[in-house]
Amino acid sequence: MTFATRAALLLSLVALVVAVGRAQVTDQDLLNPDPSDFLLYSGSYDSQRHSLLKEINTSNVGTLQAKWIFHLTGAKDLEAPPIVYKGVMYVGQYNRVHALDAATGRLIWEYMRQPPSVGWQRGIGIYGDMVYMVAQDSALIALDRRTGNPLWEARPSQAGKRFQGPMPFAAKGMIIMSGSGQGGGFIEAFDARTGQPKWHWNTIPAPGEPGHETWMGDSWKNGGGPVWVSGSYDPQLNLLYWGTGQPSPDFVGDNREGDNLYTDSIVALDIDTGKLKWHFQNTPHDVHDWDSNEMPILLDAPFNGQPRKLLLQANRNGIYYVLDRTNGKFLRGVPFVSKVDWLSGLSPEGRPILTPGHEPTVQGSKTCPSTAGATNWPSPAYNPDTKLFYLIVQEGCGVTYRSTTNFRPGQGGSGTAYMESSEDRERWQLYVRAIDALTGKKAWDYEQVSSFHYGPGLLSTAGGLIFAPEQQGMFTVLDAKTGKSLWNFNTGALITAAPTTYTVDGRQYVALASFSNVIAFALPDVK
Amino acid sequence: MRKTFFALCSLLLAGISLTAQRGGGPAHPAIGNREAIAEGEKLYNETCTACHGKDGTGGELGPPVASQNRRYLRRTDNELFDTIKNGIAGTQMPPYGGQFTDDQMWSITAYIRGLRGTAIDTPAAGSAANGESIFWGKGTCGTCHMVKGKGAILGPDLSNLGGTRKVQNIFDALTKEQHKIAADGGTHDVTLLPITTYQPVRVTTRDGKVIEGILKNEDSFSLQVLGRIDLNLYRFRRADVKVYYDPNSVMPHDWDKRLTPAEFQNLLAFLTRLYVPPPPAPPARGGGVG
Repeated sequence: MTFATRAALLLSLVALVVAVGRAQVTDQDLLNPDPSDFLLYSGSYDSQRHSLLKEINTSNVGTLQAKWIFHLTGAKDLEAPPIVYKGVMYVGQYNRVHALDAATGRLIWEYMRQPPSVGWQRGIGIYGDMVYMVAQDSALIALDRRTGNPLWEARPSQAGKRFQGPMPFAAKGMIIMSGSGQGGGFIEAFDARTGQPKWHWNTIPAPGEPGHETWMGDSWKNGGGPVWVSGSYDPQLNLLYWGTGQPSPDFVGDNREGDNLYTDSIVALDIDTGKLKWHFQNTPHDVHDWDSNEMPILLDAPFNGQPRKLLLQANRNGIYYVLDRTNGKFLRGVPFVSKVDWLSGLSPEGRPILTPGHEPTVQGSKTCPSTAGATNWPSPAYNPDTKLFYLIVQEGCGVTYRSTTNFRPGQGGSGTAYMESSEDRERWQLYVRAIDALTGKKAWDYEQVSSFHYGPGLLSTAGGLIFAPEQQGMFTVLDAKTGKSLWNFNTGALITAAPTTYTVDGRQYVALASFSNVIAFALPDVK
Repeated sequence: MRKTFFALCSLLLAGISLTAQRGGGPAHPAIGNREAIAEGEKLYNETCTACHGKDGTGGELGPPVASQNRRYLRRTDNELFDTIKNGIAGTQMPPYGGQFTDDQMWSITAYIRGLRGTAIDTPAAGSAANGESIFWGKGTCGTCHMVKGKGAILGPDLSNLGGTRKVQNIFDALTKEQHKIAADGGTHDVTLLPITTYQPVRVTTRDGKVIEGILKNEDSFSLQVLGRIDLNLYRFRRADVKVYYDPNSVMPHDWDKRLTPAEFQNLLAFLTRLYVPPPPAPPARGGGVG
């Protein structure tokens, strides 16, 4: 043994000892999250976006104050919920990560990749001693969480595929990524330590695979089924629950007769193998771009007198779905917006019974809800105390067009378009809506005046609060029971991200990305 | 009514002459060429709508390439052409140079240029001088609108009407009940804007005072209103007032009947020529400030 190898061995032993004694994000941390941290896009694997923190509650939220602002120079349209681990916040979008002191907003390190990008991306994943960023050039990049030093890069293992914007999803030693590209959408798992690919699942089945027969001729090659939001995870059932996007081309269906599986579906994948356990297609043969990427919430609750493992989703198509998440069985489907005119009902299996006249036309055809959807990717929340499901709804109809020329293969969503209804009095309007999680029955509404399109997600807390930012810039807190507004703050810029909450030194903070700033709020200092 | 409308349209079209890019000659013969624009529209509809929306109004993935209230990063014809041909690095805008010929890409450029064009590029025929006297006189337009510092403030300032609206928008505003421009479909706005719909409201305060006015902005907690009679700015806490949103615009919408056809045409000739040219570009370096 030479001196050099001996020294190397000794050094690696020292490194091992340090690593063992050092805090890092473990599976246990993710399975039973400490409410002081906020480690996942939805806070927890069931995606309830409900925090047990209650220092800030209905009795004192009126005194909430802004504590610090961090400006991301050159950024805009931030969609990232800030991730917090042991007092350090990680926030960013494509090609950038900033690590901040979560109590003061002071920068600890930052990582910037060229070129600067303002593309829509939903934040930074964390696992072990690494944080995970998505690059605009379709790379998953692992960084040391203490310094931002780049450790490795991974790319989709199939040619022609690209990662889209979801926050990298950490579970069971893997980072789950997704996107779309040649041949359609996909979900892929990578080893969290090394970046080696573990499995790859395509949303569009290839010839010989089940579901392939739901595409006329070669139409499956045109792709679709993009996966642009992450999902939920049930560790007991060992299943991932993800939503998939629309078939391609989006508004022209005659070249792709059939149900077009597995587009506009909720899919359950075995986390170890990536094999499809079950699927539920919300909108078969979609021609309105009603992606099913809305976050599914997992809930264990009695349903019709039986204890059930449920999956809840308010879908872009206007229907609130309750499924049995062990097998994908349809249990309930009810409209959650005032106008849903494209179907007359649902079959016992949950298949929509279509009403005629809603196919997109050259002149434009009106359908309710609009293509932008009755809701969209902004995250819903569930509060176990009120048993209410909270979501952003967009009331309004829309007009969809198709081109005069036929679809050309390889041209994505060519020849199509959509608009807000041209009737001025039908302008889109956003609301925060609380519905009974099991029946879908409306409990209350909060109108987000001057907010008309998409908007930020929600956060529920054990303090009896719904933190409900508004697209037009207001950060508002609602009473979870009544929907009454208890506090508000004008952030001065558009908000398209969901808030998160955490504690540092025993004090609760709520943080929110607004356009190009991250703002943290807490109760006043006790003198 | 329909007949009148078409007659007026053809009158308008008679006055149209497609001009080159403002402030310089065309970068390519396709610009302003009707056939090229038609070809460009066809290619645009087959290729660009999924991201950039119908008529350039924006879609889920891309920004509007032609819409109101937008400052374009790529303004010249050459910049537009280059973007189509070479894409934009670091974004989802791909290069189309491999798919289309240069002529086809110039046609798309010409179509987008046409979408962006406004009334000043294609002003209506008629006597603008006579139209101006109707504006301030029989038309009573100046009792609500301002042009270059003269007139009133209840309605939009029309000084640059021809530079911001298309002929058809102006025609609709004068003749149609519902002439407001709906929001772009599917786009993320880039900044917070005041409300530009001139929504009439009637606000009743707790002590019974009624203020009628035009909504300048509002959110879930407050309203900002320009009083219709006293032209004062009011601020209200929403919790303190009752608000009625009048569905009817303050703007009359039958000017084609209130005026004779010739007067109406002359008014259009005036309105479509209202234009404030952009200020000259600043010197390349320094400004003599020290």
